[in-house]
Amino acid sequence: MDSKLNASLAEYLTALGDDELVLAQRDAEWCGHAPILEEDIAFANLAVDELGHARTWYELAAELLSEDRGRFPDHLAYFRDAAEWRCVQLVTLPRGDWAFTLLRRYFFDVLEVLRLEGLKSSGYAPLAEAAAKIYNEELYHVRHGKAWLPRLGRGTEESHARMQAALTQLWPYTAQMFLPLPGEAPLVAAGIAPETAGLEAGWWAAIEAALAAADLRAPEKFIPVTRPRSQQTEHLMGLLSEMQMLARANPQARW
Amino acid sequence: MVFQQLASGEPLVHNGTVHAPDIEMALLNGRDVFVRRPTAHALWVTPVECIFTRTREELADGRWLAGVQASSGAAEAWHVFGKLTQQGQLEQLGQVQAASAEEAMKLAIETYTQHEIWVWWVFPVAQTLSSQPEEAAALFSFSETHDFKNQAYYPVITLMREIRNKKQAGGKRG
Repeated sequence: MDSKLNASLAEYLTALGDDELVLAQRDAEWCGHAPILEEDIAFANLAVDELGHARTWYELAAELLSEDRGRFPDHLAYFRDAAEWRCVQLVTLPRGDWAFTLLRRYFFDVLEVLRLEGLKSSGYAPLAEAAAKIYNEELYHVRHGKAWLPRLGRGTEESHARMQAALTQLWPYTAQMFLPLPGEAPLVAAGIAPETAGLEAGWWAAIEAALAAADLRAPEKFIPVTRPRSQQTEHLMGLLSEMQMLARANPQARW
Repeated sequence: MVFQQLASGEPLVHNGTVHAPDIEMALLNGRDVFVRRPTAHALWVTPVECIFTRTREELADGRWLAGVQASSGAAEAWHVFGKLTQQGQLEQLGQVQAASAEEAMKLAIETYTQHEIWVWWVFPVAQTLSSQPEEAAALFSFSETHDFKNQAYYPVITLMREIRNKKQAGGKRG
């Protein structure tokens, strides 16, 4: 690949990693607080999976930029200010209740599976290889979410109301997920990454079926969030200040 | 109840118990709580109330076995698990066809005579949810690559011992 394409792919991978890392951080906030012990372990596992995916994408970016594979992921995670992050707003929103958390994760995981299906046949072999590994884990994530959705949506009056409220709250943020990722256009042209806009129909079909099975309805009237990934909000700043505090206070810290 | 098979051809062994509202969630919880070793091949779950159990002590005088009535209902398949050693986990012995739990237990005891069993369990195959071979990659592949999910990855006991030794050595100097 030429250096221009390298830079585009590094940008693209960093955005993917940012989505995963911020979601991992948000979901890890449940550690010790999930509804039952088993789910606490399960959910922390899912968060750790996303953390691993973030590391994978950042390491690939490091190689493309001739950075140190071992240190670059930490640099990206701990030493960038909010303005330099490229995650979607959906993952930055405060964790809310259990309904909100599960639904957000499901929206994200369904899209991730679709994207990975495309990335598995990427023209850049290291990316295709990594995608195949991550794909298996994401299949499990989707199964986990699919199991919970109808149990809450059709559970009690309260669980249904909470799911419906979460859906109404999250829905406007789904639009931003289908905007092109940073660096995407030349990668699509080169057969390295799937076009994000092209994943929307598959996502919607899966989500529509899942919502119907859970007796939930997407709102008809809403104002979609379509600001670019370069415009972050105070939600991300709060999250970063906690996540980065130790590394910034003591850059030599080891654990 | 959660059962795990670590490799193809090996018997399933009893891992432990998870709470879950239904059997599908139990399988998922079983995966997240118990699949930690470098490999896993299959996972089964069955509701605790479906397990019929007898211990060596309960069977010792032969009275329970003698009292089992032949039942006239339709036969179904039952999984048979047994505890081969006093400390070990229960492991899979095989299957029997029977019309009731009592009858399945009696058949199991008469069939699997090669070991001295400490505890017997029988439960209906129809009440068991098993992972499917095509699901194995999604359910278990992480256990091969995610060292950090294996408790052996965290040498906590060794680390604590080192810290304690250091402290003691420091104390002597003081």
